[in-house]
Amino acid sequence: MHNLETLQHWMQTVIMNPHGVGAGIESEESRRAIDVSPADIEGVITRSQNLTALQRLDIYHRAYFARLIECLRDEFPVLLHALGDEAFDAFALAYLQKYPSRSYTLSLLGSSFPQYLAETRPPDEGGSGEDGSGPSWPDFLIDLATLELNFAAVFDGPGVEGQELLDVEKLQTLAPEQWLASRLIPVPCLRLLTLRFPVNKYYRAVRKKKEPAVPQPRPTYLALTRRQFIVRHYQFPRLQYVLLNALLAGDTVADAIEKTAAAAGPQLSRLEGFLHKWFRNWTAEGFFLGIETR
Amino acid sequence: MKLPRLGLTNLGLGVGLRTVHFGYLLQNTPPVDWFEIISENFMDSGGRPRYVLEQIAERYSVVMHGVSMSIGSTDPLNFDYLGKLKRLAGAVNARWVSDHLCWTGVAGLNAHDLLPIPLNEETLKHVVGRVRTVQEFLERPLVLENPSSYVTFTDSTMPEWEFMARLAEDADCGLLLDVNNVYVSSVNHDFDPVEYIKTVPHRRVVQFHLAGHTDCGTHRIDTHDNHVIDPVWELFRLAHQLTGGASTLLEWDARIPEFPVVHAEVLKAKQYMGAALATPLPQAPPRAAAAGAVPHPLSYVIPEVA
Repeated sequence: MHNLETLQHWMQTVIMNPHGVGAGIESEESRRAIDVSPADIEGVITRSQNLTALQRLDIYHRAYFARLIECLRDEFPVLLHALGDEAFDAFALAYLQKYPSRSYTLSLLGSSFPQYLAETRPPDEGGSGEDGSGPSWPDFLIDLATLELNFAAVFDGPGVEGQELLDVEKLQTLAPEQWLASRLIPVPCLRLLTLRFPVNKYYRAVRKKKEPAVPQPRPTYLALTRRQFIVRHYQFPRLQYVLLNALLAGDTVADAIEKTAAAAGPQLSRLEGFLHKWFRNWTAEGFFLGIETR
Repeated sequence: MKLPRLGLTNLGLGVGLRTVHFGYLLQNTPPVDWFEIISENFMDSGGRPRYVLEQIAERYSVVMHGVSMSIGSTDPLNFDYLGKLKRLAGAVNARWVSDHLCWTGVAGLNAHDLLPIPLNEETLKHVVGRVRTVQEFLERPLVLENPSSYVTFTDSTMPEWEFMARLAEDADCGLLLDVNNVYVSSVNHDFDPVEYIKTVPHRRVVQFHLAGHTDCGTHRIDTHDNHVIDPVWELFRLAHQLTGGASTLLEWDARIPEFPVVHAEVLKAKQYMGAALATPLPQAPPRAAAAGAVPHPLSYVIPEVA
């Protein structure tokens, strides 16, 4: 009779071995739990009339990888499109070995997938720059995975449906000094991303069943949010991103504008003309829950 | 236990709530008696899944069915998970909370599968203790389902129906008798499904599950991707007779058809309530062996992006 904990460690090690149950049974880790060879496996697992013990264990092994790879395909459909089935599944299989699920929920299964792709990124070659450096195909894939992961998080995370948001008219009631000293409270579903490729456009095209070419790299600044339970995404020029990022970090409007001005370079003279429009647009798009004024 | 089904109501014929039917259910109010949800799909949701669930819970009775309690594991119980389960049950007024007689992982890992346990005295004692702890924490009875399984252990000393019976009595919990799982496991482990249905403690059966599965020739896999087959309906007929009836739920988790098709499938159960068992069980029609069939549950929710 095997101790229950020992038996469970053994079975988990065997069915999670990517090389199959035979390799799993032979592995050092499983042999530390139960020292049995594939030939003697029927001392642990009984056979049925139709299947050997090994064949029966293999059902769990196959199901483990097939089920979780299917979930990753659902979570990263556009990355799957970009990579193709075979390459995607190979990445997913390797990912599941390095980052097996430790959560009760499948919604976190892919949470380290972009990180995994970055960690296993091949050395630079064939980049977009003249010297072969710069963002290249692996970076495109990492960005795409990052975008899809964030879409999922915004979709099912906290939102503001049914709540009253900051409206444009409220902004117009503030005296200039009151406005500059205030802090805008972002909605909890608002996220900013900086990416190396405009993967948002690629994503949208694939979801519309098109066959877009892989885009050229271009610094891409995105805001993601959710209205009426649907994820929305907006692409901005860099300066808008700098301003919004400062506001999300809790800066006062004055401090955020100051940071933006410092980053504006030759656009500084035109900045003032933009600011009113940006704040108005963001408020109209529901980026802010409210405003803290002194 | 004084009352059958732990005093829990027979809710009638229900359907498992799946995301592909959200749109239909927001637009329509089909005459379904009740819905069962996959607990893990909603316990952390702050988005559309939770919103849809709240709409459903206003109109229908809701039962929570989990896939990650891992009641048979030797890892410690996850009280963070149980706390979320309890809060959700309160929020949607869940009629009861169920999970499976299985383990899903050890050493902190989750295989997201319903893995079988060796059926012996040591395991029984272990699971009874954990069920009691969970019931005290949730402040409500736990209802446990017999999973489909594909291996048995040399360490097992009793059949599953005896284990389920003793577990239910010793832990004072309810049973979710998955009739399709009884059939699938009976083929996989060469036992008589009728004996299983006859032997489980009928007063403890709070709920039935029905589903389709896949015939792989040498074994069956619980895929939840098809209609219920005739032998399973006949087992349901027997189970209904012996228990006096219990809440009955159809699961459809892959290749899911339109909602009316799923609803119509569970309504077929009415034809099997009351009449005598066909003896012997009808043979299932042969199906092509399905390579790569994957046992469910799968419960990933696909986001909607404008």
